[in-house]
Amino acid sequence: MDLLNNLLLGLSVAVSFQNLLYALIGCMVGTLIGVLPGIGPVATIAMLLPITFHLPPTASLIMLAGIYYGAQYGGSTTSILVNLPGEAASVVTCLDGYQMARRGRAGAALSISAVGSFFAGTVGTIIIVIFAEPLTRMAQKFGPADYCSLMALGLVAAVVLASGSVLKAIAMVFLGLLFGLVGTDVNTGAQRFTFDIPELSDGIDFAPIAMGLFGIAEIVVNLERRLERTGAIKVGSLWPSAEEIRRAIPAVLRGTTLGSLLGVLPGGGPTLGAFSSYTLEKKISRNPSEFGKGAVEGVAAPEAANNAAAQTSFIPMLTLGIPSNAVMALMVGAMIIQGIQPGPEVMTKKPDLFWGMIVSMWIGNLMLVVINLPMIGMWVKLLTVPYRFLAPAILLFCCIGAYSLQNSTFHVLQVAGFGVLGYIFVRLGCEGAPFLLGLVLGPQMEEYFRRAMLLSRGDAMVFLQRPISLGLLITTSLLLVLMALPSIKKARQQAFQEEG
Amino acid sequence: MNRFLSRDFLSGLMFIGFGLLALYFGQKLALGTPVRMGPGYVPRMLAFILMGLGGLICVVTLFAGGEPVERPKWRPITLVTIGIVCFALLFERAGLLPALIVLVFITSLAGEEFKLTEVIGNMVVLAILCTVVFKVGLGMNISIIRGVW
Repeated sequence: MDLLNNLLLGLSVAVSFQNLLYALIGCMVGTLIGVLPGIGPVATIAMLLPITFHLPPTASLIMLAGIYYGAQYGGSTTSILVNLPGEAASVVTCLDGYQMARRGRAGAALSISAVGSFFAGTVGTIIIVIFAEPLTRMAQKFGPADYCSLMALGLVAAVVLASGSVLKAIAMVFLGLLFGLVGTDVNTGAQRFTFDIPELSDGIDFAPIAMGLFGIAEIVVNLERRLERTGAIKVGSLWPSAEEIRRAIPAVLRGTTLGSLLGVLPGGGPTLGAFSSYTLEKKISRNPSEFGKGAVEGVAAPEAANNAAAQTSFIPMLTLGIPSNAVMALMVGAMIIQGIQPGPEVMTKKPDLFWGMIVSMWIGNLMLVVINLPMIGMWVKLLTVPYRFLAPAILLFCCIGAYSLQNSTFHVLQVAGFGVLGYIFVRLGCEGAPFLLGLVLGPQMEEYFRRAMLLSRGDAMVFLQRPISLGLLITTSLLLVLMALPSIKKARQQAFQEEG
Repeated sequence: MNRFLSRDFLSGLMFIGFGLLALYFGQKLALGTPVRMGPGYVPRMLAFILMGLGGLICVVTLFAGGEPVERPKWRPITLVTIGIVCFALLFERAGLLPALIVLVFITSLAGEEFKLTEVIGNMVVLAILCTVVFKVGLGMNISIIRGVW
């Protein structure tokens, strides 16, 4: 009955007028930015971080979660209507969604994807509720050495599953860890890499980095590419036909199952879920030749899967404090700024925040279906605004947002600097996500590492002597070894080629 | 194909570069002992790992070859950066409106098409929007034009 009490507590927090309002604003603003072509959830959340900072912690996290769902929803909308995915996870939606739109079934594709996502989100939320407590209890047994190894595993797994070149991604993790050390050393008070700039003594602020690396860099890349426009898009009736519904339901169920499972894996998240479920649908379909030409299953399953995965990828973040992808890293960053250290303590020490956030995730999903779907016409109009108007406007809001963090123009300059760095990363094919994961985990990992070494009197063997830590490290090295095997390397490359 | 100009080789160099920077600027930080680590212990460890990985990436690329780096287009990234820097410099000294005009003007140049009338229209809309949202709506402590409002 604990579960029920927890949910009731969450519900009472989530349905307060203020929190409902922030969830709504989050969903709307998230959709607004997410629907802009070429801008995915990570960039959206990064650019919108500043607007959540002046809110109380619970409201700010609720709003961020809303932004996340809104951005994802916006991403699928652009995929279906103009064939421009905002992020990897909705690339698959393009394949059949855009074909459906060309046949005049855009409205049906949109509502199937929205309702399928809502169902998947509901299941994902239930899974979080069930697994949150046992996992948290397990995590409370962890010592510093175990934590350090757990983070190593999380980082390596995220790298291995989610990006192109393993070696480069690992180097990006270390670069992120290094950037995370900037600021005052907690144990000695020494200034590290602060160059006597007072603003840096608390560390590099997370928001300007995220805004620069993801937001600015993405806008610049879009400006270079000159996004192609398609003419007016007719949405048509939102109601799917009976035949479409009949075909969508089993696909949604399969997508939800697969997505929920894959979402929990570090580095899994929405992209892996969407791709795997599309492949699965194609394999079990009686006429696979329909795929790519507007098969309903090809929209329903991956959309359900990416939402289920988006939901369950909160599990490692909420219970262990380990972000499994870039979006979760942003959430962790936002929590730290709010003075909350993500990890097992959040649930025990701040149950109202924890359960309130979980329930409002579900409410956010509901809002997207009931409020956002009918507003689709408005979002479509937004798609017709040329990028040359949007780019300066987005940059302007980023600048004002960055300034508002601490009323300091130094933050605006930081955004510019990290924008350049982010652009270099893009050009060199180095992914920003592992960097962000390293950056977020860096300070904690150093802390645990130093504490573990202190407890063991400088004996690094402690990481191998504690059974939990040893198990985690063995898993980590197994993953790395597996990646080096030629057969797996080949299969992996193929998987990423399909993606790109 | 020139292997030294491949994306991988250059990124390897970048990692080595960051490692060297960290070593150089962190040289005054006390190392401490493995039991009681000083503030310099972990940074130095990370710097060496980073340089090792960077070197490995370079060596692997020299043997295996890699994708050539795409020729960057300098205009968007340069103009966007300049625009943001100008905004930062003008915002507190001159106010939101001048900073906005400069930012929108410069970043509009970064795109493919540039029509002055459109850009001015965009400025007007954004100026009104920002004033209403940030100054009136959210009550942020910013001046629209320094000394005037």
